[in-house]
Amino acid sequence: MLGIISTACSFCIVDRQSKIPNGTRRKFRAPSSKPCFSYILRATRCIPLSFRFSILDKKMEVEGQATQPPKFALPVDSENKATVFRLFSVAAPHMRAFHLSWVSFFACFVSTFAAPPLLPIIRDNLNLTASDIGNAGIASVSGAVFARVAMGTACDLFGPRLASASLILLTAPAVYFTSIASSSTSFLLVRFFTGFSLATFVSTQFWMSSMFSAPVVGTANGVAGGWGNLGGGATQLIMPLVFALILNIGAVKFTAWRIAFFIPALFQTLSAFAVLIFGKDLPDGNFRRLQKSGDKTKDKVSNVFFHGITNYRGWILALTYGYCFGVELTIDNIVAEYFYDRFDLKLHTAGMIAASSGLANIVSRPAGGMLSDAVAKRFGMRGRLWALWIVQTLGGVFCIILGRVGSLGASVVVMIVFSIFVQAACGLTFGVVPFVSRRSLGLISGMTGGGGNVGAVLTQLIFFKGSKYSKETGITFMGVMIIFCTLPICLIYFPQWGGMFCGPSSKITTEEDYYLSEWTSEEKEKGLHLASLKFADNSRRERGRKEDSETKPVDETPSTHV
Amino acid sequence: MATARALLVASLVLSCFLLPCYGTVLFSSLQRTLVVTASPTSQQVLKAGVDKITVTWGLNQTLPAGTDSSYKTIRVKLCYARISQVDRPWRKTVDLLKKDKTCQHKVAARPYSPANRTTQSLDWTVERDVPTATYFIRAYAYDADDKEVAFGQTTDANTTTDLFQVQAISGRHATMDICSICFSVFSVVSLFGFFYNEKRKVH
Repeated sequence: MLGIISTACSFCIVDRQSKIPNGTRRKFRAPSSKPCFSYILRATRCIPLSFRFSILDKKMEVEGQATQPPKFALPVDSENKATVFRLFSVAAPHMRAFHLSWVSFFACFVSTFAAPPLLPIIRDNLNLTASDIGNAGIASVSGAVFARVAMGTACDLFGPRLASASLILLTAPAVYFTSIASSSTSFLLVRFFTGFSLATFVSTQFWMSSMFSAPVVGTANGVAGGWGNLGGGATQLIMPLVFALILNIGAVKFTAWRIAFFIPALFQTLSAFAVLIFGKDLPDGNFRRLQKSGDKTKDKVSNVFFHGITNYRGWILALTYGYCFGVELTIDNIVAEYFYDRFDLKLHTAGMIAASSGLANIVSRPAGGMLSDAVAKRFGMRGRLWALWIVQTLGGVFCIILGRVGSLGASVVVMIVFSIFVQAACGLTFGVVPFVSRRSLGLISGMTGGGGNVGAVLTQLIFFKGSKYSKETGITFMGVMIIFCTLPICLIYFPQWGGMFCGPSSKITTEEDYYLSEWTSEEKEKGLHLASLKFADNSRRERGRKEDSETKPVDETPSTHV
Repeated sequence: MATARALLVASLVLSCFLLPCYGTVLFSSLQRTLVVTASPTSQQVLKAGVDKITVTWGLNQTLPAGTDSSYKTIRVKLCYARISQVDRPWRKTVDLLKKDKTCQHKVAARPYSPANRTTQSLDWTVERDVPTATYFIRAYAYDADDKEVAFGQTTDANTTTDLFQVQAISGRHATMDICSICFSVFSVVSLFGFFYNEKRKVH
């Protein structure tokens, strides 16, 4: 009886906001005060007052509640990052940040790829040639190359909330102006500027890496990225539907597509407002306020930049990401027209098929992130690298097959399978990225993300511009290129964890050595490195289970020399 | 019972022979027996949704009698000239008529009777979804199985002479222009509004 009551008390009072480590409690309920307290009052009426409080005190002590007041709805680690991922919760700040980031990223994808499904109409209205269309497709993904790198740095300096909302609101005009485009030049320009909004990917990944801890960061990144990328598929369904609706109301074809563009533009604007009003940069608060109160140190751009670009792993991941995400973007741009022209389908049928490729993102990219986390539990970072290489290479194989099949049914099936593998590879990549650098996390995320777009630009430039290769041949060659450009993953090596073919360094190297090597001794004296120290401690899981049980962490104190 | 089954098999086998007949007509196999004229003069520019074309078609009277015995329907179409097909694979000319994309806009479909050989004509307003391009008019004659058997066109074999142009509607409206600009300005201004608000809260 006492046990039940004390458990009930702990559920209601302590349960809601606490820093309880994983596994010690069975149930977490969302904040709900009134019914809970009345239940406690009724239940505790028969127990003497002093006894009641001693039970509560004991429970709180047992669960490790020191003097700090409990703050969060989810269990957190020492950096206040959530250690679990609750998909259907909107609890501030972690899950709310998740939902805001994926929805705003989704909106940007919808806008960027709103033109391809309507191209059969737009190309007649604006008198476009195949070269014009190819150039516009390249332009749509090239803007984000540098925007993503810049976004990474902006996140490091201003925080993901302001950085992403600014970008989204500044690119919304490009989407509005698509409605009034009247030539191939204006079409190219609006697609180019709209494409900048894809840089919100970096802020999404940065935000998730700031809100979620190592055991779930792959999953969080994967789901946020995947559900955002979903926009590229959803738009292939949404735009023809909106177009058909407006056509039914009575507009002419050449007016209907223009009106249709207001939908993605408005969606984008509203999502940016939501991010600004409801979002928070870090679990503890927003950058500006934390910087003012001294809780968050301000870092210099040049240092962030230096440590980012001198890390070779960032460059390798940028290249390989170009051949999973870049390929996904290319497919978003070409596949609707491919099916429409090759198999003589109706506009909305081609749109539906094209959508199924992007819609696979709803599970495939999160699955990649979860696979990364699951493999890391057993094999650590080495497992993450192997999984990434295998999945991405298989994506390349299916791409080659897609270019070779000639029937509609087989094409659709192979395309979906290929999309699943390629998108899972994207999720797996961002299971590795958070560990490459702590100081320049934003920049590394930006470089990788930018590399994705470079891959899209290169692929479209080489294989899908003008009429040199038929689309089928282009797709086959793209598959071959995927396989070759995935090989560099074998070269990634972390001294504390190892690489694909080598184990960890024979010299005793710890996570602290790796992450603190980014700070000079003067900076360490000022205490600027403390966030990296906490992260290093939390990242020890990347050794894998075998390592953990066999070896104990040898030298815990950070090395004093760089 | 046995005869019924035999009949079924026979009809199935026969229908298999019929199937390849559909969708295999080549343009090069058609004879140019129709005479088609259109009102636009060479290089005239017509406005979509506004201007009219008068199309006249009929059998070439110099041909022997009986040439048109199988014609049942005449379909008149607006077709892209070669110059408008350059670098636009979705308007490509292919010999297999099922896959040919040269003539994408329907003008008229009229029944034809060989007994009544007078020329037919039609006034057609250029529709508002016709894109800006250079065109000619072509008429196909179809038989009772809805297969192409003959054609006629206003231009020569290489589609280079007697072409006319259509200027499409832009699809834009003043209201739309104003809305686009207003919403864009609002997005940017609201961003700065938020910044200002943030700064105010922190200080």
